[in-house]
Amino acid sequence: MSSRHATTPPTRSWREIPQQVNRRALSSGGRRRVVLSGLKTAGIVAVLAGVVWGGLEVAATFQANPRKAAETAPSAPVKDLVLVTDGVLDQAWLARTLALPKNTSLMSLDLFQLRTRLLASGQVRSATLTRSFPATLAVSLSERMPVARLSAQDRDAEPRTLLVARDGAVYEGVGYDPAMVQTLPWLAGMKLLRAGGAYQPITGMESVADLLAKAKLEAEHLYDTWRVVSLARLESDGEIEVVTRDETKITFGLTEDFFRQLANLDAILDAAKAHPEKSPREINLAVGAQVPVAFSGVEPADASRPKPPAPAAPALVLPVFPHH
Amino acid sequence: MSSRSTFIGAVEIGTSKITALVGDYTGRELTIIGHGECSSRGIIKGAVVDFKAASECTHSALEHAMRDAGERIELVFLAQTGGHLEGFYNEAAVNVKAADNMIGAEDIRTVSELAKSKQLGPGRMVVHHIRRPFRVDGRIIPGSPENLVGQRLEVGYWTVHGQEQRLADNIHVIRGFGLAVDELVLASLASGHMVTTPEDRQHGVLALDLGAGTTDYVLYRDGGPHTTGVVPVGGSHLTNDLSIGLRLTEGQAEKLKLRFGRATVQARDKAEKVWLDGNFAIGDRQFPRHAIEQITAARTWELLEVVKKNLGGAFAPETCAAGVVLTGGTAKLPGIAEAAAKVFGVPAHLGETPAWVAENLRDPGNHTALGLLYYGVTAQAERTATSRRRGGLLAGVKRLFASA
Repeated sequence: MSSRHATTPPTRSWREIPQQVNRRALSSGGRRRVVLSGLKTAGIVAVLAGVVWGGLEVAATFQANPRKAAETAPSAPVKDLVLVTDGVLDQAWLARTLALPKNTSLMSLDLFQLRTRLLASGQVRSATLTRSFPATLAVSLSERMPVARLSAQDRDAEPRTLLVARDGAVYEGVGYDPAMVQTLPWLAGMKLLRAGGAYQPITGMESVADLLAKAKLEAEHLYDTWRVVSLARLESDGEIEVVTRDETKITFGLTEDFFRQLANLDAILDAAKAHPEKSPREINLAVGAQVPVAFSGVEPADASRPKPPAPAAPALVLPVFPHH
Repeated sequence: MSSRSTFIGAVEIGTSKITALVGDYTGRELTIIGHGECSSRGIIKGAVVDFKAASECTHSALEHAMRDAGERIELVFLAQTGGHLEGFYNEAAVNVKAADNMIGAEDIRTVSELAKSKQLGPGRMVVHHIRRPFRVDGRIIPGSPENLVGQRLEVGYWTVHGQEQRLADNIHVIRGFGLAVDELVLASLASGHMVTTPEDRQHGVLALDLGAGTTDYVLYRDGGPHTTGVVPVGGSHLTNDLSIGLRLTEGQAEKLKLRFGRATVQARDKAEKVWLDGNFAIGDRQFPRHAIEQITAARTWELLEVVKKNLGGAFAPETCAAGVVLTGGTAKLPGIAEAAAKVFGVPAHLGETPAWVAENLRDPGNHTALGLLYYGVTAQAERTATSRRRGGLLAGVKRLFASA
């Protein structure tokens, strides 16, 4: 048995053979490999040295003057405002709204605050502000489009016309063609509430916007005659009342397809032309398959009933488009 | 294990050809992605005799393999053969140190170091220490004996050593290409690993790698290598014998060997003659087939007898149940399995390339390079695991106290 503390003579292993490269022993392929490997190493060393040097420079700068790093690149004052919009707002409005002080540097702008200022107008649905160096502030806007207008009067102030968008937002329209604004129907029968410095959105405007859009697209001759759209019974009865230029009151129901109601209306008005002596005073399209129409000059049997539920004389019940 | 790819080159500098393979080792699996081959120059019996010529063809094989793989080799496993390689067996035993007789890592390390510490002759260097199973109080332990209880721990190592200059020559050939040799693997271990299965090795098997200049062998017992050796005789000696016996040039003799050589005499008609070229050209000659077979069979028989003699008491048919497996270029000689079976008295067969090896590599001549990759990766993983086990602050402090 060998002793645990026996001196163990060292045995030499092949790993002790030196493996350093002898230039004489290098073949052309080997030389190429060595050169490439040397270049690679040199490249790595150079990159590392660059990184270390850069780091030391930055560290030295901070040590010498901690504020210098921030001051080394002062941004230029804003020279240009670039506006990109899908609506009618223009450069002048933008400059007026942003109200940037003169010689404000691009870096000192509070973009969040400026964006809030733009959105406060109501006409702007979304806004993106981008610093474009060296001295340009780029503003990209997405605007609301008005579907109706309303007249509002604050205490001790002149009444003013406000516009209402599809999402119910109420705002003072800027830059719209007055002729276009004139074609918009007036909204009535709802309360306009204030929240902070702005008006609260009007609820249910999406249905109204759908009706108006459908009418404008499919029956523009009818739409042109609409003057007032009332939301008074929208929430309670699901009905939209439209008053035309000649004071005819048309009631639309939310449960029925607007297109079919408009077609009925068109057919009724066409049929009514055959009786020029009687003009329709009320047309209720919200009832269903049959449409009660009240004519002017014909008194209803029971004048106390505001709206005849059934087509009884003296109201006429005109044929309508059948249901699908 | 990391999943980063390591591109490993396996190089076998043989007497007739140099084979280089490129393996993509991910830490979990090894894929062969490149293969290069070049006829040998400047190599005799596995030893470098002309450094420049040997370097040129080795580097050419490496370049081919790298081009085939499309990747740069990062480290090289090199196969080692040659008549200068020798082996001996040395064993050691220690009494288990702990009071409760539980074997600890320290006991294992001590007994292993003692078994490996036999002094070598001048100019000799260790290539491999092949451990045989541990024994605890005479009981064979196939795995690690750590935490087993016993009084006496024994282990034996089969140490393969070679001449420093010869080893250095082979390494310098690879260094000349700007690559480092990471593992030096005995050719017989590499090819044996490839053509034998773990079951074969458990039952006992003799793997014979018949090359052009040398015949490498490894005898497996109890699942691991037991004895290895190199006989500096190979296929080129058969060619040489034919050349002398039939008065032919070496090229003509090689041609005859490949076409008509056999490891056992089969020709019954002594008058039967075969043409050297068979193309009816002027100068074509006839030779007696019986004579060709006799010459090649005699030399093959002699070669196998030498291997058997070298193995001595280590080989016994009853401890070699899986028989003899033959590989290497000369194993393609017809009748060689029959001859080996007769010489060793056990069944013999040609080593088969595993099914997952690509078609272009399925040649017995590639088994060493293929095995080199797989054996090398395994050996390296074991070495890394051992060094990790030995590492650590606590282990270091413990060793410091133990030595104090």
